[in-house]
Amino acid sequence: MSDAERPEDGEHPDGGDLPDETFEDEPRYCAYTDYESGSGHPELPRTGAGASGIEARVWDALHDIEDPEMPVSIVDLGLVYGVYVDSASGEARVDMTLTYTGCPARDYLLSSVERAVEDVDGVEDVLVNLLWSPEWSVEMVTEAGREALREFGVSV
Amino acid sequence: MATEDTDTGPWSDRGFALGGPDELSEREQAAVEACLRALADDEFVLAERYTEWQVRGPTLEGDLAVANIAQDELGHARLWYDLLEDFGHTEPELIWERPPEDFRHATLVERPFARGDWADAVVRGFLYDEFERLRLDALADTEYPRIADRVGKVQGEEHYHREHARNWLERLAEGRGDPDNGHRRVQEAIDRLFPHALTLFVPTAYEPDIVEFGVRPAPLSELRQAWLDEVVPVLEDFGFRLPVAADAHPEAVDTLLPTARGRDGEHTDAWADLHDEFTFTYRQLDRSEAPRLMVDPDDADEGGDHP
Repeated sequence: MSDAERPEDGEHPDGGDLPDETFEDEPRYCAYTDYESGSGHPELPRTGAGASGIEARVWDALHDIEDPEMPVSIVDLGLVYGVYVDSASGEARVDMTLTYTGCPARDYLLSSVERAVEDVDGVEDVLVNLLWSPEWSVEMVTEAGREALREFGVSV
Repeated sequence: MATEDTDTGPWSDRGFALGGPDELSEREQAAVEACLRALADDEFVLAERYTEWQVRGPTLEGDLAVANIAQDELGHARLWYDLLEDFGHTEPELIWERPPEDFRHATLVERPFARGDWADAVVRGFLYDEFERLRLDALADTEYPRIADRVGKVQGEEHYHREHARNWLERLAEGRGDPDNGHRRVQEAIDRLFPHALTLFVPTAYEPDIVEFGVRPAPLSELRQAWLDEVVPVLEDFGFRLPVAADAHPEAVDTLLPTARGRDGEHTDAWADLHDEFTFTYRQLDRSEAPRLMVDPDDADEGGDHP
């Protein structure tokens, strides 16, 4: 606690002038409970529904990757924006984002995706394309994702 | 690792005057790089300073908030450094092995905190975050697509930084606990930091190109006026004295600038120490020789200096 915040009675001969609000008061609720959920995007989330062939297998592999902090698939979290596979050459591209820019799991997630997709039958090469636009928001979590988060104890 | 961020794919339908990193002329690239270096270095160095408050904040919430803000600013620095990597620069070149005089941040973000002076952190955050909002708003109109893709995400993470700074400013100014103490400390922080905050707006030699090519269409002079119009009345309403009026003549504002202005590579003494500190571990690790916690058992068998 810095001096700027700590009321020190000793320095106030007229301590009676101190404001009523001191740290001895009853605790109060944090005022910040109102979280904006963001605007989402009409084409998101994508889950691979309707995909076929190698692309469907890539989506399956991505479904198996969980967020390192919460037991929810990164697909259900809405992080995967698209999967594109050239079936002739086996070149795959995954467009994805992260929930926020300071995400400490950035390298972990990107390399997990890269390894998982590399292992998919029919994929020869993979490019993980990290996008920051459209911006991820809670709106992009799928219904299955919401279910998993609620079970984990997160209110969504 | 084949992890790259190359294009926006199907997500953006806006047209841009500038192309991707490989399509720029030499002059365009230099302007983009100069703009990005100021952005990235400001965020990185400010985050370095903020982390000094971790486990030392005045309240648990304040402590968590400042740590979280530092993490955001590091995330933003990362986003901008990524775009410099598009041009072939590597992370060690951009951060760990870059000589201190090549950094382009404003001196505001490198100044050491007066010991234990939370008001310094609050005033600094306020002056910086109001500037950052204006800079990001200007960058929302950028003609460089790679910056455009990232501005929205960063803007979304800045809102509560400003809320946090204003909230604390109000508490310190109007007083919980000892009003004189909080008020006095904020005033002293303003006196100390305001000239350094002005270095945020010091143009580099690339400024005309940055504006002309639309990397950041609004010139820094315009941002500075908008910033003065914002921060001066807010602080005056709390009863603080400012060294300059919001509508002062630009030349009068210029006279307040400190000698070292950061953007041209000239920094205050504090920068050498901070640079030394955050590169310390990198230098210690000395990649030519992996660090060892114990003697390799094979070597130990041959005698060595083990008992």
